Amino acid sequence: MTATAAELEALNVDKVIDARGTACPGPLLEAKKGMVSVPLGSTLEIWSTDPGTKTDISAWSAKVGHDFLGVLAADGYDRVFVIRRK
Amino acid sequence: MPGGEKLVIIATHGIREPEMATIPFVMAGAALASDVAVVMGFQADAIELLKHGAVETVLAAGFPPLAKLFADVRDLGGSLLACSPCMKARGIAPADLVAGAEEVAAGRLIAEITSATTTLTY
Repeated sequence: MTATAAELEALNVDKVIDARGTACPGPLLEAKKGMVSVPLGSTLEIWSTDPGTKTDISAWSAKVGHDFLGVLAADGYDRVFVIRRK
Repeated sequence: MPGGEKLVIIATHGIREPEMATIPFVMAGAALASDVAVVMGFQADAIELLKHGAVETVLAAGFPPLAKLFADVRDLGGSLLACSPCMKARGIAPADLVAGAEEVAAGRLIAEITSATTTLTY
């Protein structure tokens, strides 16, 4: 499941996780911690400066069972969107 | 074990090789975040990493500080198994180990490995 850039921009995000400045696997671990702090169905937005995060969070979501929505490029970092499903 | 999967990671490198000491914890953290149970076995020089305060000194270029990764692995439920003869060879006593680390002999580690989904060795 991936969304268009316009759809991602229009999302109502429940929690933002700022993992900028952390290297692998920091953003993934921060996403994991953030997931358990929100109810099922919540949308998380993870900020990361690590270029591997885009594929890392996508693969992690598929394995664990969350919905990976996509990525938006921001000013020097990526915004990664995931819905908690379990 | 969460999701029915278990990863055993055997670490053999100590504080004098920061990158090789750090990578096992990177993999352990990613596995735990993915709901894969993790058992880490520390052998040879890697046994030093289980001493109080040892990981505070380790920083590999491009990686998070080992102290942060170590804390994450413990917080997420990773098991830390210390090779008993490796401890004796280095004069490390059980009281020298960080909380949660467990001194084990080869039989225990073999039991963990043979019941694991995958084993990685560094």
